[in-house]
Amino acid sequence: MEQTIFPKINSDLRLRIVEMICKSGEGHIPSSFSIVDIIEHIYSFELNVNPKNPTWVGRDYFILSKGHGAAALFVVLEKHGFISSSDIAAYGTKFGILGGHPDSTKVPGVEASTGSLGHGMPMAVGIALGLKIQKKNNRVFCLVGDGECQEGTIWEAANIGSNQALQNLTVIVDWNGSAQQLMPLENLEAKWQAFGWNTLVIDGHDPLSLQKAFKETSINSTGMPQVLIAKTVKGRGVSFLEGHGLWHHKIPNSTELEEIHRVLSE
Amino acid sequence: MLKIGEQDEKIVVIVGDISHGLLKDFRKNYPERYFNIGICEPATVNIAAGLSRVGLIPIVHTIAPFLIERSFEQIKLDFGYQELPGNFISVGSSFDYSKLGCSHHSYADVSLMAHLPNSQIFLPGSGLEFEIFFRESYKTNHINYFKLTENPHGVEIHEKDIKVGKAITIREGSDLTILTTGSELRNCYDAAEVLDRNGIDSEIIYLPTFKPFDSAAVRKSISKTKKFITVEELSAQDGLFNAVLRSIIGLGGVVGKQMAIFDFLRIYGSYSDLQEVAGLSRDHIVQNSKALLREEV
Repeated sequence: MEQTIFPKINSDLRLRIVEMICKSGEGHIPSSFSIVDIIEHIYSFELNVNPKNPTWVGRDYFILSKGHGAAALFVVLEKHGFISSSDIAAYGTKFGILGGHPDSTKVPGVEASTGSLGHGMPMAVGIALGLKIQKKNNRVFCLVGDGECQEGTIWEAANIGSNQALQNLTVIVDWNGSAQQLMPLENLEAKWQAFGWNTLVIDGHDPLSLQKAFKETSINSTGMPQVLIAKTVKGRGVSFLEGHGLWHHKIPNSTELEEIHRVLSE
Repeated sequence: MLKIGEQDEKIVVIVGDISHGLLKDFRKNYPERYFNIGICEPATVNIAAGLSRVGLIPIVHTIAPFLIERSFEQIKLDFGYQELPGNFISVGSSFDYSKLGCSHHSYADVSLMAHLPNSQIFLPGSGLEFEIFFRESYKTNHINYFKLTENPHGVEIHEKDIKVGKAITIREGSDLTILTTGSELRNCYDAAEVLDRNGIDSEIIYLPTFKPFDSAAVRKSISKTKKFITVEELSAQDGLFNAVLRSIIGLGGVVGKQMAIFDFLRIYGSYSDLQEVAGLSRDHIVQNSKALLREEV
């Protein structure tokens, strides 16, 4: 099968996602692949958190508003010590704490229970507002899907975020083209700008692009919240998973799994 | 709100462009903890969950249908599912906005909120009841809903009788139990006086706390009278009547009648006009009580 040539980052995390989802028979592989590089970057370089004390009051917050990308978050949480390999092994079972969407009441390091689109980002706005009221310096990051940007509550929250001048809030849009399948919107950046946000368009899979963009957000002194519109590819990493349609919620069969292993192990 | 806001700096008030006059003192004294978010109720509720997440005590306030029914997914998931506490104070009750049409009515809000395991629900029929319930509940680990009315019942109730989770026996009697909540206490009280003049001795059990429901008090009264009527400005599908039925399971030889809202109240007029159309006036209570007493057990 044809392979995509791309900087081979996070193949280990992609493999972990596939193994976890295949074992349980439940999950969204392509949606997780499009965001795993972003989430891994945030946990490695941006978040001030303590896996041994996930509710530490001095922590930064990450909210995965695109809840069906949970597998990506879980493998990153495992890598950074919030959850264990047994938790990953029990994914999707009655014995475990991990399921198809993140649950803040169960999973250490998960700040919001998402799954219904349009909820995580307003929650992030609320957290950012609360931290501002408390005069704390903690930062808030929230990842939304581009399809999720069709939800009205995203724009209600965007309006509130800029009106409340939430400089401590950074939203990342996983712009993998899902929205284009239904209600095309060519200029998502302009829409966010119209709501008063600082914007930056980046490559959501390129470590250098992520590094440069997040550095800019860390020195944001504009007084306004910011959004990184990250161009990504759904299923990025394995060519036959890329794109939209069949693979959104499909579980690989044994042959497909073998091929995925081969590609990601090279 | 001002007094509690003074004592508790965790309180944050969020309104949907309403009650500016009532809350002006709080706004003036604590501008950093008062937000008039505007007309976006689902996001407003959602944001309140974020405030709760960082340890603040949100109080969200707007008109009942928009606060609860429009935003129920946010209440259900962002508060209920995440087990976050918060306070919701509505205005407009069920049909206080009697001249504005059904878009501003809410008959099912109490039912919706009752589905959440961690909720507490109050229908205070007086300012004193609200003050007591709010003070006792606002910082507990619950999702508190206060359904306020602009038509207080005006029946005198002693402060010591007003307790979270407790029914109040307004009037003792032996022929019939009238159970009610919120502003309908007025009509029930007046109806009881008419019934009394007709030789019918009715007992009034008033339940301003809908949840936790004082099943013991309800069961005790109906065990005695064996006849009951529920009078509520709530949906007939699920409200006070259902809560009473759950309280008397297994109690034999009882007859009851439901007075509730069965359909949209599609007229405009005064509050009492709509009570009349809903079949919840004083005279309706009297007629239904007499009819109930004519039924054979």
